[in-house]
Amino acid sequence: MLKALHSTLLCDIANHATATPDKIALVEGDNRITYAQLVSRIEACALFMQSLGLQVGDRVLLSAQKEKEFIYVYFAAHLLGVVNVVVDSAAPRERLDYIVNIVKPAACFGETGVVAGCHIIPFAEIPLDDCCEAHLKSPRLQATDVADVMFTTGTTGAPKGVCLSHDNISGSASNTNGFIGTKTDDIEALALPLSHSFGLGRLRCVLSVGATLVLVSNFANLKSFFTVLEKEQVTGFGMVPAAWQYIKRFSGRRIAKFADQLRYIEIGSAAMPVEDKRLLMELFPKTRLCMHYGLTEASRALFSEFHANAANLESIGRPASSLVDVQICGEDGQRLNNDVDGELCVRGNMVCRSYYLDKDNEEAFYGDWFRTGDWGHRDENGNFYLTGRKKELINVGGEKVSPAAIEEAIMSLGVKDCACVAVNDPNGVLGEVPKAYLVKGETPIEINEVKSRLAQLLPPHEIPVEWEWIECIPRTSSGKIQRLKLKQ
Amino acid sequence: MESRVKEIIARVLNVDLSKITDTLSSGDIPEWDSVGNLAIISTIEQELDVEFPLEDLFDLTSVESIVQEVTKLLHA
Repeated sequence: MLKALHSTLLCDIANHATATPDKIALVEGDNRITYAQLVSRIEACALFMQSLGLQVGDRVLLSAQKEKEFIYVYFAAHLLGVVNVVVDSAAPRERLDYIVNIVKPAACFGETGVVAGCHIIPFAEIPLDDCCEAHLKSPRLQATDVADVMFTTGTTGAPKGVCLSHDNISGSASNTNGFIGTKTDDIEALALPLSHSFGLGRLRCVLSVGATLVLVSNFANLKSFFTVLEKEQVTGFGMVPAAWQYIKRFSGRRIAKFADQLRYIEIGSAAMPVEDKRLLMELFPKTRLCMHYGLTEASRALFSEFHANAANLESIGRPASSLVDVQICGEDGQRLNNDVDGELCVRGNMVCRSYYLDKDNEEAFYGDWFRTGDWGHRDENGNFYLTGRKKELINVGGEKVSPAAIEEAIMSLGVKDCACVAVNDPNGVLGEVPKAYLVKGETPIEINEVKSRLAQLLPPHEIPVEWEWIECIPRTSSGKIQRLKLKQ
Repeated sequence: MESRVKEIIARVLNVDLSKITDTLSSGDIPEWDSVGNLAIISTIEQELDVEFPLEDLFDLTSVESIVQEVTKLLHA
């Protein structure tokens, strides 16, 4: 049986395979994979990766497709000390090329597209026959070694690689399971994308506790999602607030018929209006409605359960566990008093130790406190509240979008100048959406043409929803865009 | 009308028109996620000047069902 003392997650999964080998770990369509099969396939995959010559510390690009093979490769890499760089293969080519240039992967798994000089292995070509574990080398690894590098949106437009160690990801799973109360007999539907910290985190939570994970492509087809809830007797799922807006709009109150079977719903990645929290409480009176505040760098730092915190629904919660500290800091990094606004800073077992590139670590921490870039305060009872954001990212339905990246793409189309800011989604679904302010250049160009050409450069959620021509973009004397002036 | 609806779906999802078959459903391809579905519905409403009744949205899960709904609305 698999030995990986550096990875609490792998040890947990191996223990489930020993204690309950026939328990279903994964459901993918009609395929059902037991814990014994899961471990055996992780080992087979690790053996295959070893045969490719992959070494401890090598990076592999892993396409976040919602398939069981993704999970085998993901954990096999952890077993060997190979670092997963999990990417959304549908991301713009430029973004993937940027990531490849930085991490220089030794191999690519899944549909990553062509990567120069790199061995690409489609999931279907991974041999998963039973393997002899004796052939697997057992490298000496530490829990603090990097397990995954997740790229998040940076404020300058270039993605930042967040280095998460084995103890970071198991710490986050343990904190989250402790708060939500996920148990071995739970069955969770995973409709969140695996390329994000939230979805990947749910996967780890479910498997570490020995529960069953049902892979669902996404929330787009709610008829199909509800069929899965019924057929698999699902007891929990995770969603972003935009998914809830979507569920409400496309299915009304139909989901309430599952209220008795759903033990928990985890919500996160963006703010949720209080009226939506109240509606969820009404529709799910017995379900644990757990909303987290966190970032890829500090996954699930705070938690709030709506029913338990009904008098305080504006709060983003309290620290997820006794192993997590959150404090409000002033500009000098000093802790501020209660009720005073400052920057939320986090330290704890799940907080990353560094970014992949040294330059991204500058000003990222106050000592061992990670600076979130979000502003807020703490009340005398220990509840935290968000009041603003220092970083200029736009949160489109949970997807963080850099205005600088959109501006760069628009400028490449012949516009003289432009600036993007967050505005409320006019459709009331995504929370925030980008708005672009444009200044005409010498060559005339219509907004419709900018929009259609932008579709070739940016993913759909990054394309501005509102557009406005203006005379000039307000800038500081150093040339920095004054976005607040535009918002006003 | 069928070809117009399919052209809109392909354009909104930024995928090749050949992928937009009658039986293709939301969630079948990564591009057709909930954000993509919202964009399809709003673009069809804008460009074809129709308004999908809220109670019908739950059943609009495939290319075929969207084409049928648009045809019904345009002839109502």
